[in-house]
Amino acid sequence: MPEMPPSPSNPTRIPVYDFSVPTEADAVAALHRVWGPERGERLWLDACRSAGVRPGRVTDVAQLERAAAALGAAGGATATVARSIEIRLRTHARLAAKIADAKTRIPT
Amino acid sequence: MTRADPLHDVARLQEIADLRLLSTDIDPILQDVASRAAARLGMPVSLVSVVLDEALHVAGSHGIDGLWLGETGGHPVEWSFCATSVRTREPFVVQNAAEHPDHRTNPLVTQDGVRCYAGVPLISSRGFVLGNLCVVGLEERVFVADEIAALRSLAVEAVLRIEERRAP
Repeated sequence: MPEMPPSPSNPTRIPVYDFSVPTEADAVAALHRVWGPERGERLWLDACRSAGVRPGRVTDVAQLERAAAALGAAGGATATVARSIEIRLRTHARLAAKIADAKTRIPT
Repeated sequence: MTRADPLHDVARLQEIADLRLLSTDIDPILQDVASRAAARLGMPVSLVSVVLDEALHVAGSHGIDGLWLGETGGHPVEWSFCATSVRTREPFVVQNAAEHPDHRTNPLVTQDGVRCYAGVPLISSRGFVLGNLCVVGLEERVFVADEIAALRSLAVEAVLRIEERRAP
């Protein structure tokens, strides 16, 4: 199957991998699944404060990376959630680059 | 009442953290275990995987240099073959992923060409499934009992190494 570039209607989604760039909502949901809503929310607020980003307004990848790094500093099970976020961000970036590279190699 | 998904179990994730398995540093002994697994089964790729809540983290590997997985150090857990063993605590074998009901639409299969897989769980002395020792190939393949037994033996070795990392 030929690789297609991210959909123009949603540039954050890589269609052939059915994979979208992680968001703040994804990170918060992951914390809720592991810690429950109350503690999960508190951990996210603490991480955002440490990272110097505004909870609910983490709108770009760089901010999410900073918040995830701050979450990782909490250690323990919370750090495993942070590592998951980091891996998902890295995977999205790498695959987006791979597909963009493949696109430039298609003869026109 | 539905059973909670072990992938999100706080105690299991805490065990992974206690065993310092989140490090991105290369552990030569886990690399060696992965290399021997690949050699024993004649496979191009082998991983010592750690299955987190939402991603697979590579703690040791053979054969992924130059692949995107070698750069990311893991992938989303929904693509993970290894997550099955975390849930079942049993080996998981896929002869032909392109025909497997759970994996035929997996991007690792449709985009990256994975065809066969055999993995055995890495179970800590406290009884938590941390991840898998697995081999992966690009051709359909049958795995025999002796090969799974060899993977189990190497997995025991990997866990012994991992337990040495437990935080005091």
